Amino acid sequence: MTRKNINKYISTLIFYVVGGLTAAILLIPFFWMIVTSLKTKGALLSIPVEWIPKNPSLAAYEKIFKLEGFSKAIFNSFYLAITTTIVQILSASMAAYAFSKIRFKGNEALFRVYLATMMIPFQVVFIPLFIISSSLRLTNSLNAFLLLQLFNPFAIFMLRQKMMGINDSFIEAAIIDGANHFHIFTKVILPLSSGVIATLGIMSFMGSWNDYLLPLVMISDKKKFTLPLILNSLNGQYGSDYNLLMAGSLISIIPILIVFMFAQKYFRSGLQVGGVKA
Amino acid sequence: MKKSKILQFVAIVLCILMVFTACNGKTTPATDGSGTSAPKQDDSASKPQKITLRFEQFSGSGDTEEYLKKMIEEYNKVNPNVTVELQTIGYNDYFNQLMAKVAGGTAPDVYELNYENFVSYAKKGVLLPLDDIINKTGFDVSKYNSMALNAFKVDNTQYGLPNSFSNVLLFYNKELFDKAGVEYPTNDWDWEDVLEAAKKIRALDEHTFGYYRPVSFHELYKAVKQNGGSLFNEDMTKFTIDTPENRETVQYMVDMVKKYNVMPTEEQLAGMGDWDLFKAGRLGMIVTGVWAFSDFTKNCEFEWDIAVEPGNKSKATHFFSNGYVINRDSKVAETAFEFASFISSSKEAVQIRLDAGWELPPVTDSSILEQYKKITPPSNRQAVFDSLDYLVTPPVIEQFQEFQDIIAKHLTVIVQSNVTVEDALSACQEELEEVIKIN
Amino acid sequence: MQKIARHNSFSKALPFILPSLAGLIVFSLLPIITSLIISTSSWDGLTKLTLFTDAKSFFNNFYIGLKNFRDILKGDEFWKVLKNTLYFIVLYLPLILISSIAVANILNKKYRGIGFFRVLYYVPVLTSWVAGALIWKWALSPEYGIINEILDLIGIEGPKWLQSETWAMPSIVLASIWKDVGYFGLIFLGGLQSIDPTYYEAAEIDGATGWRKVWYITLPMLSPVTFFVIVISIINSFQLFPQVMVMTKDAGPNGATQVFVERIYKYAFKYHKMGYAAAYSWILFVIIFIFTTLQLKLQKRWVHYDT
Repeated sequence: MTRKNINKYISTLIFYVVGGLTAAILLIPFFWMIVTSLKTKGALLSIPVEWIPKNPSLAAYEKIFKLEGFSKAIFNSFYLAITTTIVQILSASMAAYAFSKIRFKGNEALFRVYLATMMIPFQVVFIPLFIISSSLRLTNSLNAFLLLQLFNPFAIFMLRQKMMGINDSFIEAAIIDGANHFHIFTKVILPLSSGVIATLGIMSFMGSWNDYLLPLVMISDKKKFTLPLILNSLNGQYGSDYNLLMAGSLISIIPILIVFMFAQKYFRSGLQVGGVKA
Repeated sequence: MKKSKILQFVAIVLCILMVFTACNGKTTPATDGSGTSAPKQDDSASKPQKITLRFEQFSGSGDTEEYLKKMIEEYNKVNPNVTVELQTIGYNDYFNQLMAKVAGGTAPDVYELNYENFVSYAKKGVLLPLDDIINKTGFDVSKYNSMALNAFKVDNTQYGLPNSFSNVLLFYNKELFDKAGVEYPTNDWDWEDVLEAAKKIRALDEHTFGYYRPVSFHELYKAVKQNGGSLFNEDMTKFTIDTPENRETVQYMVDMVKKYNVMPTEEQLAGMGDWDLFKAGRLGMIVTGVWAFSDFTKNCEFEWDIAVEPGNKSKATHFFSNGYVINRDSKVAETAFEFASFISSSKEAVQIRLDAGWELPPVTDSSILEQYKKITPPSNRQAVFDSLDYLVTPPVIEQFQEFQDIIAKHLTVIVQSNVTVEDALSACQEELEEVIKIN
Repeated sequence: MQKIARHNSFSKALPFILPSLAGLIVFSLLPIITSLIISTSSWDGLTKLTLFTDAKSFFNNFYIGLKNFRDILKGDEFWKVLKNTLYFIVLYLPLILISSIAVANILNKKYRGIGFFRVLYYVPVLTSWVAGALIWKWALSPEYGIINEILDLIGIEGPKWLQSETWAMPSIVLASIWKDVGYFGLIFLGGLQSIDPTYYEAAEIDGATGWRKVWYITLPMLSPVTFFVIVISIINSFQLFPQVMVMTKDAGPNGATQVFVERIYKYAFKYHKMGYAAAYSWILFVIIFIFTTLQLKLQKRWVHYDT
């Protein structure tokens, strides 16, 4: 074994130990969610902490699966999360392209306006937003709710940062080849941004999957309820059953984890596509 | 880029949106207004029409929602023409979303309010006054416990019907009392007795505490009355927070924590809830409400019982109530009232509530109440009714929540830092005078 | 940053901006402008909002001019809230930058099973604040908590954390780092992945070693992402909310964790003072706007876009 090999071995070992330990610490609350969800009583933390439930039981999960409209809600949640992710990424990447690669008067100013909308807390626009949406008759429809997702300044900002880093020489080359903006956008810019798009995809999906207060007021037809709306009714006035709450949260985390595992493969691909190197 | 071009562009955007929304409007009819697709039904008594009633509530959550559905079934047996659309929303976000709906004019026909929010809603004029309907239908309101009924009255107008009724008692762990060799609490106990017993239980071991009562507005409001004081002058025009009696009251509450430490500090609680401490068998006495019965019955592995909460110069106990109210703009107000009165006071509904062990029905029907007394534990359920003689009702203040939070804030300061009772109470008085308008 | 010289007009940009712009106008600007009008009123959030249908009656009933703004700026509470928020940012920002860049570097390694690690680090982002807060409250408990126990081992007497006026905010910072590190780590990972490996290869030929590569290649190349993260996390910090609600009862000892959105939430939804809450939000907006504009101005000095 050469010295280089030994060094490599040691650094690999260090990586697994340090990475593993940090991950373990980060995961304690998650582990505790699992433990609590398996308890029969909805007991809170007791001292000493009961890390392993004495009589593990799946009762909490059974109860949640039996909630009225549960499977329909799962379907609705998927429907809304997938469509939202597509709509947001499409609309945001288009806007980001315009802001980063097309020079037009008021570009900077308009972008500032986009950014500024993030600075108003949701709590105060919540009621006006609901009143406007309901006077436009956008309530009680998942597709109408989708319209509200067209504008996501966070995603636009993130993609713009990425696209500004893409060398203009690609685009100039494409223009010489006779490409228009639509071609440049779909053939050059989007493939080069796929890493960021994958990251954003996860965030959009997660945001929509967990979105709660707005759908709660906008959707009143139970057939159109999403998962958080169904789980919400478990919150009681005088404390809640924590095992139910935790089981509910865990069930709602799983799909995002799956999406994450699927999407993270694409993190790297941003570099390999597109004839010229970035 | 010219200005006119921008305007033109905005116009295009709006047009597109309108097309969009117009399409949408067709596919989802009648979700605006009060959400009732039913026609007017003023003469519905003679010929029943199809009526849809939107009903939102929070107190029947999780398991208890099932009982509520049973009540609706019972209601439908008598009124098959009414479709009740029940929506249960968790307590945490119930009021946020309700505000949006009320302000947007899409409030449900019947909805539930807790007492804290009730006064604000009634004073803002968003609730339907019920007196006319009560007179017109000749509905007998004497079915209700008068205390609970009056709680939903503002300026002598009835705005809501109570659906449940809870009061606060002294719960105690019999085993810890036996171990410490202390007699069980009786209805004659006063503050001194509580303190002495608590001290003996606290002496058992390091992790066992004698007593717990939340450091909250409700506790103070009640304790002040127990000591013959009040937070207001008699005609409710001024705050009287900083008085000798009240200082004495607060001092007693604080000493329990700081001086004698029979009640755990926040650090000693270490993130555990007060109920958890009691259920873990580490707490001798806890002041809490009847809504703890089912949880304690399920989760306590020791014997426990209740007594009327001890006072000092006099006794005083708190009561809490949730009620159903009717949207002022409801197009089916009469049906809404009929439904609300049915699920809060009809024999069928009350029986379901009772069988479920779901708080105390707010009615005076003695046969129902007799059944309630027979359920054990606690064996001394009579104490629930004995307490009714000492009920104090919270003040009717429009800024109730804010009032409550200001008091709680100052109380917490006394318990957690070294501010003296005098300083904190005078600061509290000052802030209240500045922020809260009484009447 | 140079933009393409030809084909540069609004009409070319319009098709690309149209969807987001439509959303911006209807679902963002319109409600925001409404909230600005509300901030000059004493509207309670309950009485039916007639601003769109019968504006006159709304103004007759509720208009109070700039009173809300005056009241907020005159009182002590606002300054305390501002101080608490800045305290949070000063602690949180450097910590989150360092820790999430570190996490991104770990996750950028090409070891076997790295995909699994990426998932693990992201789990706190998904964990509910309810569970997170309970564990943190327990971990930070002065008497029974694991953190003080560890500190005890190395001979330090731990503070009272959430029960102490000085340490309550740092406790919130700790929990926030736990929750956010995976999120920003992921964003930084995206940035790391975009760095062209040929730069490193070239540097290695020139004899550059580990830290020099980080300093001269990684950090400058990462600067657009760093800029993004700083802007976003400052905006988020000013809007700090759920962790405060779940971890500290009534905003901590003596209001030590009172922050803007917590106040706004209380005024709007608990105290029914929607006008006051809206005014509070607009003051907050101005503060964030100043901070963000400053950053957009300063970025030219340190952010390198690859052109």
